[in-house]
Amino acid sequence: MAPDNRPVVQMRGVTKIYRSGSGSRTVEVRALAGVDLSIYPGEYVALMGPSGSGKSTLMHIIGLLDTPTEGEYWLGGEPVRGLSEAQLARIRNQRVGFVFQAFFLLPRLTALHNVALPLVYRGLPAAERLKRARAALEAVGLGDRLDHLPSELSGGQKQRVAIARALVQEPDLLLADEPTGNLDSRSSDEILGLFDALHRQGKTIVMVTHEPDVGARAQRIVRLRDGRVAEGGMV
Amino acid sequence: MNPLENFRMAFESLWGNKLRSFLALLGIVIGVFAVTAMISLGQMATAGITQDLEAIAGRSIFVQPNFNEGQDFSTAPIREEDILALQTLPAAVIPQLFTSAQYEARPGTRRSIQLQGTPGDLPRLDPTNKLAKGRYFSEAEARGGLAVAVLSDRAARDLFPGREAVGQVARLFYPNGARLELTVVGVLQPPGGLFGGLGAAATVYVPNELIWNTSPTARKGQYDFVVLSLKKGADARQVTRQAQRIFESRYGKGKYQIASTESFQDTLRSITLILQALLGAIAGLSLLVGGIGIMNIMLVSVTERTREIGLRKALGATSSQIRQQFLIEAVVLTLVGGLLGVVLAAGLLLVITATVPFFKVFILNPATVLLALAVSALVGLFFGVWPAARAAALDPIEALRYE
Repeated sequence: MAPDNRPVVQMRGVTKIYRSGSGSRTVEVRALAGVDLSIYPGEYVALMGPSGSGKSTLMHIIGLLDTPTEGEYWLGGEPVRGLSEAQLARIRNQRVGFVFQAFFLLPRLTALHNVALPLVYRGLPAAERLKRARAALEAVGLGDRLDHLPSELSGGQKQRVAIARALVQEPDLLLADEPTGNLDSRSSDEILGLFDALHRQGKTIVMVTHEPDVGARAQRIVRLRDGRVAEGGMV
Repeated sequence: MNPLENFRMAFESLWGNKLRSFLALLGIVIGVFAVTAMISLGQMATAGITQDLEAIAGRSIFVQPNFNEGQDFSTAPIREEDILALQTLPAAVIPQLFTSAQYEARPGTRRSIQLQGTPGDLPRLDPTNKLAKGRYFSEAEARGGLAVAVLSDRAARDLFPGREAVGQVARLFYPNGARLELTVVGVLQPPGGLFGGLGAAATVYVPNELIWNTSPTARKGQYDFVVLSLKKGADARQVTRQAQRIFESRYGKGKYQIASTESFQDTLRSITLILQALLGAIAGLSLLVGGIGIMNIMLVSVTERTREIGLRKALGATSSQIRQQFLIEAVVLTLVGGLLGVVLAAGLLLVITATVPFFKVFILNPATVLLALAVSALVGLFFGVWPAARAAALDPIEALRYE
């Protein structure tokens, strides 16, 4: 948490321009217009802003699902520019753990196999994958739900399986996109409590949210407005 | 990530959608079933034809006047001196006469029957003729032109329905009304197999000499047809050529038709091959249709699983890993279909060998099975390429947003 640590996320002038249409009717949308942002190891950052502010785009770029049109981005000190699709996929697999609003569990896999899924792409042997997946599920308090299908779990439990799936990757960064958006308030509290616990364990967390009381639990709030960081970029 | 993992994933995903997977691979099942059954049936038919032909005709050469020249038996007969010349060849020479006669089925109703002149002791000359009852008339009886007869199985039933034929007297009439009374001394076994139908004619075998003496049309010393029953070890092609040379030197080219059972077999074999190719092409079409079915279902599957693809990419799957996953899924689908098709074909072939007498041996070559499976895997690969490419090309952000 010391600011002199090397940042997990470092951005300089990151711009994202979407073009649609063709010829004279090309429409340019400037989703991000020069974002400067640093996030250090162990930080718990909430990414907030009205819809259209560019927070989804920024999250996708942080998570390497998208690349900047202009500007520089270092993830864990490594420049992202010029990496191939396969290289981006590998870094995603090793450094970024995603948690989605809609959970995105594969319906036909048990909790255990859902959690083990990212390790499949790491080429680990099956026994090792399942061992780590079991440990991750135990860490989120679902040690007794290993063989349940997603359809047999409550919303809060599903999201905990999804968090376990992110944790099993041992990522540099947990990237959560409205993780409580689909949950009732009790389950929301449960999930936010889990994120608090993970933060205490030293995990680096970036959470996209539009709910102020969710953002309030983070250590720092980065506010986006019109594709720029309005506050909290801390460069 | 190892390929085995991909196969396991493919099975899981296909198993999760059992009904749809089954319907999707039905086309392949039918296609592979048809191709495999067709190839094997062709091989079984060839084996059956060869066996049957051997049983009915042995290894023989047939000599007869060529009808294409617009002649009939009387204008280009086979003469006694030709027979003598043929006897130098390594074969039993069986000169024969054909004529037709009638018998009284009921008082006032006459029916045609074939009258065939042969030398005596025919079963010894041509072992494909087997006696069921009685005996064949002897060489002495034949030379003497005695009024004795051996009946084909069918002739015995026609002439003496429900009665023992041996020892009876058969009354026949030539077309001009001349009467012929023959003592029946034997009955032949019915010919078996596919060609049973050909040999099942109602035929009355009598000495050649008798026909010469009684028929209004036959001339002494002239034959209609000669069978050369090859001795063991004689080369059919070589003897055929020698016989051809004998007739060509005497009468010129093209007057006589000389063919061996082996050349019939070759003809039959090439007919089977053509049929096989034709039916195989049709079966191949059903494989094509099956492949398009697979492509269709894979495209649906890719669309349906857009979010899964997005998630897998977010978790670190590369495009090529996604492509591999869907390609393997398509190949597994068609391979399972191919296996089912081969099993079904084997079942059908077993039933056919058990029930159809013509198909005596069950033939399913490992090469045929391998070919069927290889083709089904290739169909999966070919028709899986496009759906897999579409899956691989999905943008993870779009895919995760997909509802």
